[in-house]
Amino acid sequence: MKSTKKTKVISIVLDGKPFEVPPGGTLGLLALGNIGIRAWKKSKAEWLKNKENDTEEK
Amino acid sequence: MTQKKNKVLLVGWDSADWKVIDKLMAKGLMPSIKSIVDNGVRGKIATLDPPLSPMLWTSMATGVRPFKHGVLGFVEHDGAGGVRPVSSHSRKVKAIWNMLTMEGLKSNVVGWWPSNPVESINGCMVSNLFQQEKNGKETIDVEDWDVPEGAVFPERLIERLKELRVHPSEISGNLVMPFVPNAIALDKKKDKRLTVICKFLAHASTIHAAATEILETEPWDFMAVYHDALDHFSHAFMKFYPPKMEGMEEESYELFKEVVIGAYVFHDMMLGRLLAMVDDDTTVVVVSDHGFHSDHLRPTHVPQVPSGPAIEHAPYGMFAARGPGIKKGERIYGASILDVTPTLLSLFDLPIGRDMDGKPLLEIYENPKEIKYIDSWENNTNFGGELVVKSKGDKSTNEAAMQQLIDLGYIDDLNLDTESEDPTESLNLILKENNFYLAKSFANGGKYDEALEILLEIENKKKPDFRHLVDIVSCALKTKRFQLAEEYLKYIRTNKIASDNYVDVMEAKVNIGLNMPDQAMKFLKKAEKNQPDTTEILMELGTLLNNLFETKKARECFEKVVKTDVDNAYAQYGIGISYLREENYEEALEYFLNAIDRNYYYPLAHFHLGETLALMKEYDAAIGTFELVRTMSPELLKIYRWLLDLYSIKEDRVNIKKYEEIISKYHLGEKIIITGLPGRKIEKVLSELAKLGLEIGGDPTDILGGKIEVLDKDWFSKINEKIIYVPINYIASLSAKYSFRILYINDELDTVIDDTHKKIKRKNNTFDADLIEMYSKHERVARTWMSHQPNLDILYINNYKELSSLIVSKFLN
Repeated sequence: MKSTKKTKVISIVLDGKPFEVPPGGTLGLLALGNIGIRAWKKSKAEWLKNKENDTEEK
Repeated sequence: MTQKKNKVLLVGWDSADWKVIDKLMAKGLMPSIKSIVDNGVRGKIATLDPPLSPMLWTSMATGVRPFKHGVLGFVEHDGAGGVRPVSSHSRKVKAIWNMLTMEGLKSNVVGWWPSNPVESINGCMVSNLFQQEKNGKETIDVEDWDVPEGAVFPERLIERLKELRVHPSEISGNLVMPFVPNAIALDKKKDKRLTVICKFLAHASTIHAAATEILETEPWDFMAVYHDALDHFSHAFMKFYPPKMEGMEEESYELFKEVVIGAYVFHDMMLGRLLAMVDDDTTVVVVSDHGFHSDHLRPTHVPQVPSGPAIEHAPYGMFAARGPGIKKGERIYGASILDVTPTLLSLFDLPIGRDMDGKPLLEIYENPKEIKYIDSWENNTNFGGELVVKSKGDKSTNEAAMQQLIDLGYIDDLNLDTESEDPTESLNLILKENNFYLAKSFANGGKYDEALEILLEIENKKKPDFRHLVDIVSCALKTKRFQLAEEYLKYIRTNKIASDNYVDVMEAKVNIGLNMPDQAMKFLKKAEKNQPDTTEILMELGTLLNNLFETKKARECFEKVVKTDVDNAYAQYGIGISYLREENYEEALEYFLNAIDRNYYYPLAHFHLGETLALMKEYDAAIGTFELVRTMSPELLKIYRWLLDLYSIKEDRVNIKKYEEIISKYHLGEKIIITGLPGRKIEKVLSELAKLGLEIGGDPTDILGGKIEVLDKDWFSKINEKIIYVPINYIASLSAKYSFRILYINDELDTVIDDTHKKIKRKNNTFDADLIEMYSKHERVARTWMSHQPNLDILYINNYKELSSLIVSKFLN
């Protein structure tokens, strides 16, 4: 089950608006190139870290 | 202070095709490329043969054909007894980034195929192996994934770019969904088709990430990004693209019909990001190396030979450009991938090498552009960047890249992992294959002698290769070595190396070359009987019938082709020719326009359209058409005759003078031709002229033209006399390099038949249908041809007595 606890949302600003980055990525993020991939990899790392913490707590 | 040069962004999309793009633009699915098309120019871009990407992209980056640049095929000799993927080691000439380095301009180049190892240019380079995640056949885990040697310049960028790479294992299901909406129904681990989508997507994303990082953080004047993914997606999934191909399984079609669409849309999204990162003063060029069949022309099977998948490539790719000084919303015609580097140089106001095979695309500019030339960029010993790795390269990376080529079907599996495999044999196979591509490149550049020499060297009758043999026959035909062509055709037929139909069509071509149309017709009829609806056979048959003025039958052949492929410009043109020869100008006009509509860069279709308009007395339209042909195909000498004729009718003195001057440059003089049906009357005329002391060239005793050396293309030029007898059946082969006055001797067909019978000692009044048919046709062809020529004056006389008349005397003098 997906963890929601302690999840830090990674966001990037696109056209002046914040865009929340899902840890699974999106095609749009890949198409953004460097900034999209950095944001996605960061979001995924955060999600994995939270998942590990959840498992340890259980 | 030098003025700041505008930047140029070049985006390469391997195998992108307007047929797919236009459909998606119409649906609003490719807004980025549409913005370039709307605010710039677009056009088709002709590929080269063989249409193999590493050769093509190197031609694109150098402006020269493969036999000059040295990149041949997909793999190369590594210099140490082994083979490796084709690399920058093979390139013998400067690429655009070397030329710009020499001029002090900064270039950033990402993903170009081939560009490994990278070069120490003024700027940055990321090679085509940067995205590689394989170690031989094994996939490297994301944690152990290093950047291959020679993949990045300068080295300071390696760490930054390394973290931006996307590994195929990182591509999750939701990223695949836009390509395969029902991907959930498939097992990603088991279904290889999903695995390859992940791989192609990861590779494209990695290249794009590197490009955007460099674009954002490094200075540049020229930026080039190359993506191979559209080609890979198309080879794997175009068979599922709508409309459904005959025989395609419904379930697979439904699952994968969106993949190619998704790939194009994703490339447009990446392009959108690049466009957002450059300013309005940047010129943006998007180009592909060839097209990809996406409709009824998709092949039903791929030949199991090296580079067999190239059969799916279409001959025209796409070109689009927008930027300051570039026309808006217009189409350009006649572009070739060889034109890309000359055009880029013109954008930077740099000189074009006269040794380049391409030309700058001047039609893209709003205002006339002054072009500078130098003899060659190669004369400067500074190469504009050195290869950063001199060694043969990392073995595992090379093997990984080789494996990818094997997976794509471009090269055979050479069992590279097997230690016991004889490396010499593998190397020889590679060298032979590359020599074959070299021969094809020579042939494509019109150097048939060079091509034939290589083909005859690599051909091995013990292990015959169908491709080598058919190219030998084609080159033998082009170089008029008909005996050699026949020898190989006999070998092919005896050993059943190709279908009888193929051999029959080629035999027909040999016979056409030998001026033996009846024999040619027999072969084509036989082939047609076996395979009645084959386009190639119908086209050959139609062309031959048109040349024989069997226009109705010719039309039937072309109409059959049009019925299956309405977009076949050559068949539309063939129908136009048939109507033109029947002097049915209205119909001819329609079909020439049809041909041009389907393939605008078709100089012969424009030329015959011009002729048709001139014969319809639409002089202004005809002038406009011939002026256009002049820009497309200036070597067609007859256009200058037509233009001089038409401007004379319009009494346009300026242009009359202009074309008189042009014609005088190639004009070899005026000749007087005596011709007519081969009867008693013409013999009498020739003997009377001889009595008057006039020297008559040709062979007046050869009344039927049997002694003319048909294999000698220049037979006419070798006759020095001013007055020449030309048998009626050779009239249509008179060269446009001369102007002519034709004295045509009218004769009755019946009399001529009788005269012929006397010569061959047959009784008079024998009905000889074949002879009647032959002479009627010769006369019809000659009269129609003469009525369509801009460079002749014709005088008809009825007998030798008229030779003494003032008008004939004047005509002959």
